[in-house]
Amino acid sequence: MIDKTAPAQTPVGRVVATELKPATPHQFHFWTATETSIGIGAIVRVEEPGNGKRETGRVVYGVVTDALAYSDLATPLHDVVGAEGDPVRAAAAPTVRQEIRLWTAAVLRQEPAEPLQPVPLGEVFVATDADVAEALRMDAYLHTAQPTAIPIGLYTSGGLEAPVYLDADFLLGPEAAHLNISGVSGLATKTSAVEFLLSSIFHHFPSHKGRIAAVCFNVKGSDLCFLDQPGVLDDEDRRRYARLGIPAEPFAQVRHYAPFKADGVNLNTLRTHPDLVGDVQPLVWGLQEVLDFAEVLLNRDDIDAKADAFIDFLADRVVGRDFEDGFGGRHRVQSFADLDRLFRSIFDGLELTGRSDMWRTHHIATMRKVRNRLSNISTRCKGLVTDDGPSNDLPWGRFEDRTVYVVDLANVDPLGQDLAFARIVSKLRERLEHHDLGVDAVVVFVDELNKYAPADGPETYVKKMLLDISERGRYLGLVLFGAEQFRSQVHRRVVGNAGTQVFGRMDMDELATPSYQVMTPATKIKLATLPVGELMVRHPHFTQPIFVRFPRPAVLRGRDGVERFPPGTDLPFEDAVVRQLLRLDRSLAPNRIKDLIDGRDPEDVRRALAAVRRKRPDDVLVAFRRELGGRVSPDVPRERQAVPPLNTISEEPY
Amino acid sequence: MSGRAWADAMRAAGAVPASYVPEGSLGRTDLEEVAGAEAVENAELRVHPADAPGLSPPAASFLDGLQYWKVVFYDGVLPIVHVHVACAVRRRGADRKLRTADHATRDFHLAHLAGLKPAVRRLLDEGGLSVVDLPDGAAAQPGRAQEAARRAVENARVALEKEVGERCAARLGPDEWLVQDGLLSESAVLSGHPRALGVIKSHGAQYFEGPELERALTIPAGHRTSVFRPRGRARHEVYSWYLRLWPWEGNDLLFGLLRIEARAHPDTVARASAISGWLVRERAPLSTPDARWDRLLYPIHDVESYLKALAPRDLLPAPASRLPKTGT
Repeated sequence: MIDKTAPAQTPVGRVVATELKPATPHQFHFWTATETSIGIGAIVRVEEPGNGKRETGRVVYGVVTDALAYSDLATPLHDVVGAEGDPVRAAAAPTVRQEIRLWTAAVLRQEPAEPLQPVPLGEVFVATDADVAEALRMDAYLHTAQPTAIPIGLYTSGGLEAPVYLDADFLLGPEAAHLNISGVSGLATKTSAVEFLLSSIFHHFPSHKGRIAAVCFNVKGSDLCFLDQPGVLDDEDRRRYARLGIPAEPFAQVRHYAPFKADGVNLNTLRTHPDLVGDVQPLVWGLQEVLDFAEVLLNRDDIDAKADAFIDFLADRVVGRDFEDGFGGRHRVQSFADLDRLFRSIFDGLELTGRSDMWRTHHIATMRKVRNRLSNISTRCKGLVTDDGPSNDLPWGRFEDRTVYVVDLANVDPLGQDLAFARIVSKLRERLEHHDLGVDAVVVFVDELNKYAPADGPETYVKKMLLDISERGRYLGLVLFGAEQFRSQVHRRVVGNAGTQVFGRMDMDELATPSYQVMTPATKIKLATLPVGELMVRHPHFTQPIFVRFPRPAVLRGRDGVERFPPGTDLPFEDAVVRQLLRLDRSLAPNRIKDLIDGRDPEDVRRALAAVRRKRPDDVLVAFRRELGGRVSPDVPRERQAVPPLNTISEEPY
Repeated sequence: MSGRAWADAMRAAGAVPASYVPEGSLGRTDLEEVAGAEAVENAELRVHPADAPGLSPPAASFLDGLQYWKVVFYDGVLPIVHVHVACAVRRRGADRKLRTADHATRDFHLAHLAGLKPAVRRLLDEGGLSVVDLPDGAAAQPGRAQEAARRAVENARVALEKEVGERCAARLGPDEWLVQDGLLSESAVLSGHPRALGVIKSHGAQYFEGPELERALTIPAGHRTSVFRPRGRARHEVYSWYLRLWPWEGNDLLFGLLRIEARAHPDTVARASAISGWLVRERAPLSTPDARWDRLLYPIHDVESYLKALAPRDLLPAPASRLPKTGT
């Protein structure tokens, strides 16, 4: 809450202007006492003296961007002479030289705005809560009939502390959208900041703007695996939460999704502790889901026009339909296994009939290449892509308000990560376009943009998709929260389209790149030494970057989560199947399930399990048994009897 | 009447505007005379090392004054002078930083009133200004008038320094010292105070002749002369001694040479070396870029800077050409 009852203040400085360092409409200089609370990033208010007719003068708000300190020492040599070359003597001089603290500030706002004039040579005050709101133009969205303010953190300087708000219209669309956060790894800043901001959005996103959800891709470790568990907060964190009007609680609604491991029954996530694994949904896709995104999985060389045409043909005419192969065979392709059967049938047919190498205008070589690549997918992305069997997907059309959907891809092959990302984001976009996702806006959090949207490198499907979100997402309510270590190495349009830019502690080499040339050396130094929990924020309403502090997220950090909830060991196949069925019906007797699957082909068991999981029947065991089908006794192969040779073969050739 | 209106009225009354800052208006003058001295510490002037430990006051106040004056009008050939005198005390405490403890200013006009046109005089009388009359002798020549004005300005500064110095001396703590830039002997209070010192940088007045003069003016750095009693124009009796802060060899005979004045009391003789040792330590930090850095103690330089910063800008001499100058 903004505190508007600030007591009368005493000035901390005074604006000075010389011919060489004049005050301009955009910048001014002021001095303070050497002992001052002012620092880089501090917001100040300059008051022009009134005209004595009860009219106050111009008021200017500025943010400190640079600082100078110097003494009346004419040259360093004089200090050496004065101390007779002995630094100890210099320190023991009876008098301390006069010093000045001269600050440079960039103008944030002038009142009145017109006519725009140089900053008056007035007194300088530390900004109060109300000043911060005014200076950052937050009054436009904070004190309106339908406020759209989202707390981002606390501006702190000079013992004063003021909440800083972002405008939801500019953070989540439609005016501007997207957030980009940069910072060195390992300081718990990027992920923590996004977790805190999502919590803030969920608590402050105005109801008149509709429903909102977040989809977070967990691409490393256990970062986002415990968003529903309370983390460790100290009193200072709680105080900051209270100041920002956000409950210090973990996310109330989190849905976890993770693909299976290669065994098809154990989940490929670090959230496998027995107390938590129950609410992790498997993420499994079949042929239908994958084929639409074949472009993601096949490299550029594969996708020539012919292969592309053949894949389109499969998607449009074959998959999910009754299809006749032209050699008398009828197929209904619903899985990779079905597709492989179709391919075999076509190749056999072509070979037996001795016809040309063409099948329905497609060359056999093209078909063999597509077959080869597609069959590889289920191998490389085993666990995410099922070779045979139904899929289990995100709840398209049933997304819930203020819910985080975590898709854990940390241990998935990069190809699988690309596929998951492309498919989920495409579906989100498609659903949002048709207004049938269940929510009106979705925040998509993608870490490691250096990897997914690099400034150079090949034009991948994922990069194109990220560009598309960046440029068109705000109209749809599809908002990208991207994070990376090196902002300069992320595609310019992805970064440039982010209306809100957040910076954690930065590497000096990174700060030396042209992307940061608009910042003063002092700001860069501050960025290079930023403590954990402090950020620099750029937002369309703020004419200058602002430093804010935010509390630790109220959720369990990934590393702590793994310690508190150690991942369970992978279960044997039978036990894993039992566990999955027990999640559907806790009254089932494990031994009965084990008896059912004893001796059965694991592929059959997996298929039956997936079908039951998808249908969620009332009687799980009956349904599972039905899906498994009858037990067929294996045929005992006849002993092959070779035809005896007509003549005994002699080793003698003559 | 506002300053501009008063100036317009003066112009209308026949006074001609002027803007002349006489040479030496920024500093004080010193008499060039041989005043004589009476031996106190030794029968004849001797040289002592100034390295006795013991005096390191926890707090010290430094006093300096400033005088600016400028001819702002001529009524015929008679100058009308605007004067600004100021005095400040900057106190140094345990944190070694200087802070203003006292500050006084006086602004007035000087003119030979009897020689002015009636209209001009009326404007001076009725303009709400403080006006001091110059003696009759000042009316004859502009040069004499300026000399009379110079004396009047210096007297005003000395009076202000005396007033502020005595006020400060009354407030001094038990271990606190007052160091004044200039003669201590102008004030009865200060010349009798046990912890007041006068530090004189200019040596127009000499107290010795022959070998003693040579000894006094060639003392090595970090040494002092014997304590003596100055004779001559001193209004109140004090003890004095020379002290060399920096080696003069390779520079000038008076380079780094100070004359110290203190209370005329046996304690002064006993503490002369300790006081000298303290003042030698005051060499650092250097008071550069002031050209007198070899004799100007940094705290005194600081008081001077403080007074200059607050002095009216229009009394400063134009740095060179009076045409506007750009910073590029």
